[in-house]
Amino acid sequence: MTLATKLQIANVTKRFSVGGAQDTIAVDDLTLDIRAGEFLVIVGPSGCGKTTVLNMLAGLDSPSSGTVAIDGRAITAPGPDRGVMFQDYALYPWQTVWGNVEFGLRYGPAGDGLDAAAREQRVRRTIDLVGLKGSERKYPNQLSGGMRQRTALARLMANEPDVLLMDEPLAALDAQTRIILQDELLRIWGQDRPQSERRTVVFITHAIDEAVFLADRVAVMTSHPGRLKALIDIPLARPRGDATRALPEFQALTQHIWSLIRDEAYRATVT
Amino acid sequence: MTSVSATRDAAWKRWVIGLALPLLLLAVWQIVGTTLQGPRMPVPTKVVAAAGIMIASGDLPMAILQSLGRVFAGFMVAAIIAIPLGLAMGQSRAVERNVDPLVETFRPVAAIAILPLAILWLGTGTAAAVMIVAYAAFFPLIVNTVAGAKNVNPTLLHAAATMGISRLTTIRTVVVPAALPSIFVGLRIALAVGWTAIVAAELAVGAKAGGGGSGGIGQMMFIFYAYSIELNRIIVCMIAVGLIALVLDRMLRALMRASMPWEHA
Repeated sequence: MTLATKLQIANVTKRFSVGGAQDTIAVDDLTLDIRAGEFLVIVGPSGCGKTTVLNMLAGLDSPSSGTVAIDGRAITAPGPDRGVMFQDYALYPWQTVWGNVEFGLRYGPAGDGLDAAAREQRVRRTIDLVGLKGSERKYPNQLSGGMRQRTALARLMANEPDVLLMDEPLAALDAQTRIILQDELLRIWGQDRPQSERRTVVFITHAIDEAVFLADRVAVMTSHPGRLKALIDIPLARPRGDATRALPEFQALTQHIWSLIRDEAYRATVT
Repeated sequence: MTSVSATRDAAWKRWVIGLALPLLLLAVWQIVGTTLQGPRMPVPTKVVAAAGIMIASGDLPMAILQSLGRVFAGFMVAAIIAIPLGLAMGQSRAVERNVDPLVETFRPVAAIAILPLAILWLGTGTAAAVMIVAYAAFFPLIVNTVAGAKNVNPTLLHAAATMGISRLTTIRTVVVPAALPSIFVGLRIALAVGWTAIVAAELAVGAKAGGGGSGGIGQMMFIFYAYSIELNRIIVCMIAVGLIALVLDRMLRALMRASMPWEHA
């Protein structure tokens, strides 16, 4: 079954001018179609323009040339159809866990047509889903990194956007929490449902094993300038779990992607 | 146990050390005052006695209440104008470009310098006093509100934008709470300068009106100075002004703490 294209990145170049001198090319002539219901992971070393790509899809940044589109319509501004999970979570410190999760429903169009009871039910369900039951009244500064991450994920999910854009959401976590939350993320995304019922996800990471574990396809980018080096199918069966990480195919795919960016990663470390 | 009593000891010592200098100065003042004796030489014991009389007669509390009423009125007028305007300036370059030169031009003009205008327009009563307090409180309030509204973490604004939240709602639900610590700094400074301005204005209005009926603690000081050289009573007024400023600031800090529970959760 071929799935419709959800997000389209066509010949996109993004330049930043730094102090009027030589422009920095963050993204160079990138073309990439992201399918509806697909979990696409962009992986690459720092400086490859991953976050810039995500920001352009979110409508927080615009390409210097080329186009980004959703469902065939050009993206010119942020919108509630594309939810973003920011690297630093961007939780509102003055809102409790409940208040943060409820925020978009209460103040934004995601809550249109929901009465107070329906809104509360949605927030309740989402908080339970991410495992934050009992922490509803806490403020973000009272939460661990993992719980903040869950709160940000719950806020994103509660709004039920078509597209989830996630910028290194697990980067700040320790290794164990990270593995647990990878499993949870796939569960919440609905990896046991048919692909036509899943949401579209664009997920950024610099961790290759994380990319292979989560993705339907991995877009490998290289830096200076940011270019698409390879687009790799991850044919591992879903639902995925601990057993997946032990598969020889998992190891082989991880090795393969590492071989694609190894030279550059070494260069970046040495210089 | 040892550590608890040790910290209690330390707290005691801090208190004693903190009080040592004021007590010493009081003692010196008392000695000098009693040796030099004269109508222009206030003495601590006489100041305390004067305070007792002024409080018992109700004159001092009445004057304080009158001044406080004016400060609150002026303070509210300033807050109602300065906070929304400051938020708009902090979030919109166009508004800032238009308003900022005006604010910065008038900011160095001391509140007391607009007294002639205030009296000519509004007379020597409460309205003029309120105008002067509002003018004095306006500037620290707007400058701090602008700073707070400008320094909102951009990711928090981006998050609101990606949730499709309108600009006006974003100002209410993101910019205001994010700027609240700065706004409270502005409120505290504004209340202090407002209080300073009211005493100065009442003193000056008292002078102009020849001790007429404008009232307030500033005018009370003027009367003790111009009509019945009573230095002890003037000192009582000065101390009252200082203590009230302290109490007002503590109240504002308590309000700040209550309105930002996330800051110390």
